[in-house]
Amino acid sequence: MKPNYLLAVSGIIGALLMAGQTHGQSTLDRGKQPPGQPVPTVKLPAIQKFTLPNGLKVLLVENHELPLVAFNLVVNAGTEFDPLDQPGLSSMTADMMDEGTKSRTALQIADEIDFIGASMDVRATTDGTFASLNTLTKHTDAALNVFADVLLHPTFPQAEFDRIKNQRLTSILQQKDQPGTIASNAFSYVVYGPQHPYGINSSGTESSISNLTRESLVSFYESHYLPTNATMVVVGDVSLASVTPKLEKAFSSWKKGETRAASFPPTPSVDRRRVYMIDKPGAAQSEIRIGYPALARNTEDFQTVNLMNRVLGGQFSSRLNISLREKHGYTYGARSSFSFNKKPGPFIANAAVTTAKTDSSILEFLSEIDLMHNEGVTADELAFVKKGLTGNFALSFETPSQVANALRNLVLYDLPDDYYQTYLQAIDKVTLDEVKGAAKKYLDSSKMAVVFVGDLSVVRESVEKMNFGETVLCDTDGKKINP
Amino acid sequence: MPSMSASQKSAVHAAVLLLGVLVLNLTTVQAPAQPKVEFEQYTLSNGMMVLLHEDHSTPVTAAVVIYHVGSKNEKPQRTGFAHLFEHMMFQGSEHVGDEQHFKLLQEIGANINGSTSSDRTNYFEVVPSNYLELALWLESDRMGFLLPAMTQKKLDNQRDVVKNERRQRVDNQPYGTAGEKIDKALYPEGHPYSWPVIGYMEDLSAASLDDVKEFFRLYYAPNNAVLSIAGDINPKQTKEWVQKYFGDVPKGKEIERPGVQLVTLKESKRMMFEDKVQLPRLYITWPSAQRNTRDDAVLDVLTDILSSGKNSRLYKSLVYEQQISQNLFAYQNGSEIAGEMGIVATAKPGKTLTEIESAVEAELARLLKEGVTKKEIQTSLNNKESSLINSRATVLGKANSLATYYALTGDPNNINTEFDRFKGITPKEVLAVATKYLTKANVVLSVVPEGKPELAAANPNEKETHK
Repeated sequence: MKPNYLLAVSGIIGALLMAGQTHGQSTLDRGKQPPGQPVPTVKLPAIQKFTLPNGLKVLLVENHELPLVAFNLVVNAGTEFDPLDQPGLSSMTADMMDEGTKSRTALQIADEIDFIGASMDVRATTDGTFASLNTLTKHTDAALNVFADVLLHPTFPQAEFDRIKNQRLTSILQQKDQPGTIASNAFSYVVYGPQHPYGINSSGTESSISNLTRESLVSFYESHYLPTNATMVVVGDVSLASVTPKLEKAFSSWKKGETRAASFPPTPSVDRRRVYMIDKPGAAQSEIRIGYPALARNTEDFQTVNLMNRVLGGQFSSRLNISLREKHGYTYGARSSFSFNKKPGPFIANAAVTTAKTDSSILEFLSEIDLMHNEGVTADELAFVKKGLTGNFALSFETPSQVANALRNLVLYDLPDDYYQTYLQAIDKVTLDEVKGAAKKYLDSSKMAVVFVGDLSVVRESVEKMNFGETVLCDTDGKKINP
Repeated sequence: MPSMSASQKSAVHAAVLLLGVLVLNLTTVQAPAQPKVEFEQYTLSNGMMVLLHEDHSTPVTAAVVIYHVGSKNEKPQRTGFAHLFEHMMFQGSEHVGDEQHFKLLQEIGANINGSTSSDRTNYFEVVPSNYLELALWLESDRMGFLLPAMTQKKLDNQRDVVKNERRQRVDNQPYGTAGEKIDKALYPEGHPYSWPVIGYMEDLSAASLDDVKEFFRLYYAPNNAVLSIAGDINPKQTKEWVQKYFGDVPKGKEIERPGVQLVTLKESKRMMFEDKVQLPRLYITWPSAQRNTRDDAVLDVLTDILSSGKNSRLYKSLVYEQQISQNLFAYQNGSEIAGEMGIVATAKPGKTLTEIESAVEAELARLLKEGVTKKEIQTSLNNKESSLINSRATVLGKANSLATYYALTGDPNNINTEFDRFKGITPKEVLAVATKYLTKANVVLSVVPEGKPELAAANPNEKETHK
């Protein structure tokens, strides 16, 4: 290493300053944990709202720290809208959006966006499809021009559709390589079943993708990608005055249409615990998923369950991780989560564990879930996670993309305008009894599915001996294999 | 790679002619704008470098400590040790109880982690800005007082955790061991980059408490560390805390470091490996330039031209037009003492890696014959400009960049000059650098589904089956 950095001007000044401060530090009591300073104020993003004449709602947060702008169109066209016999329709439509418009080919779209260093993406998730555009401020007009073209005038060219279809079929094939993906897909299938949108693979299956037609995508686009069925979230280095005419110019020709809601079957319930075993010969680990359908985002118990799960498996120092990783060394990490979707999403506890400890790991998971169910959390644990969530809130609005995510959640889950203003109070007022009640109510391991993917020639016998529940042998989709 | 040593002169000539035909609105290639990061730097009397950057836009502060030690400093029989040691740094120290390091930081909602590379190990805390002092107390205690709290039991536990990390990230992943097979072939035996950062299982098993002590005393000394703090700070108060907590940590010995050891292969190596995968994947790897050099920058641009975006050379040909590859990417990885450039392409079902290799070679031959365009260079630089500005969005990003530049180049101000390396890159220079590296001997690895060796690229002279 060259020592010449010491000659940098600021370095010398700093070093001289420090030289005067080296006295009197031998009395430092290192055993004394330093207290925090006064709590800083979290500046919440100021949201400006307006609606274009065609009904497109716009949420804007100005952020002039860096010369960047992010546009995020939230479209109510998530994979929840996939017909049960057409899994993959929503995500294939999203994938095809930048593959050609009335005036641009797929290559031209990519070229224009790449040349200005922008990025553009359309992605379907369970609860919504997100079209995002990130650009430097100076290229806003050029970027927005392509973005609007892609959203308003896609032509779904047959040749590109054939290529994207082939890519999707290949990636479905490649999912079989990933034990973690197999475990997650199989878990969704066994707990929700094929008659529920959350039970089918949102990437689609070999047969559903093969049978998709260009026309079905066009029809999905026409009935869902509508200004009245979408909200534009803008965050970054623009003002209300500068961005309004740009958005009007780009999106005013987007025509209104009739929107529809997803039709949802009731959430399936599980009568008793079963163990679903999927063979992956030679696997170095077993991928475990334990859980069942649980709660929607609009549950009254959102913050209560959030706090409870943080103690159970929602962070590094949670009970599950301390037990399975730090105490036993069975895994690189164990966690649990509630997916609060528009409809009740699953509770899942998961880890990849060393093959020889598959039985012990499942036992440990179930014991921790049962302990939480029976006794809830302690007052100290609740105080600990409340403080943690409160502190973490201060870290949640640092970047434009964090702010955009926060706004997206307001849109997706129809949260009140003052949601973030009252967030800390909502956490603070959760009581110990409420958390205990939630644990009792929402964590019942006797009804959970235990799914694991591993080398059955090694682990099957030992897991069956534990009598966790009836065992079911499944294929990589989670479908029962008849012996 | 055969048949690629086209005469450099005539290739350049061809490139110039081609550019004459493509009339673009680009008289010169524009170097990206560089947003300046203001910072202050000073050294403590024990040799620890301190870097401070103020950013009061949100009440958040990041503290990063980088130790200039990575897997390249390991003994050959103790691979993976630098990373295993990183895990031990989270297990408590003399004044911080077991499990307390994580707990105290999670209690205040901090984001924390650490990571190990071949060249350096970093630790960070992103805290609500009123808790900076806590982070400094914790970092200083493990820098100065780790060993009194070290036990065999903790080591055994983290050894198990790390073995599971290896299983999860390498052994139980499709193509998971390809990288370590390539590095073993690309670098000569004993080269510090010839073994994987995660290490081999038997070496992890062999690591002892004495190894932990020795490693700590040599490498975890303040003179081998940089503390970088960025965010909502009061500089005067921060300097007082830094002195208070780090000032009396004793200086360590001088460290002998491996110098630059660039690699050339006498002849190309062609290997095949059967794995539990659905599709064959081809890895072509060349020895290349180390980090922070002009060649590193030019190769970075070259790999963008090859695989970034639908219109990039390889992507357009193999994935978009011929549709023989499911996905591919090219990369330049410049590390401290050597570098490697590679192309990785997964075949579509029914396609062989021989077909993939021919298609890659055809595109590379075309590039070496015709050169690249100014527009291609400009596209790459414009994307770098965007990434750079985006990387300034977090205080962690800034603190970590400053610390990394200090640790690996000796000058944190490289954060403000990194784009100078890209200034004035011309099609001629890209062609010259491409020719310099891509026409040399390389390592070609075919990973194929078990029982399907016929899908490999032609003539592998080394074969292995998954165990």
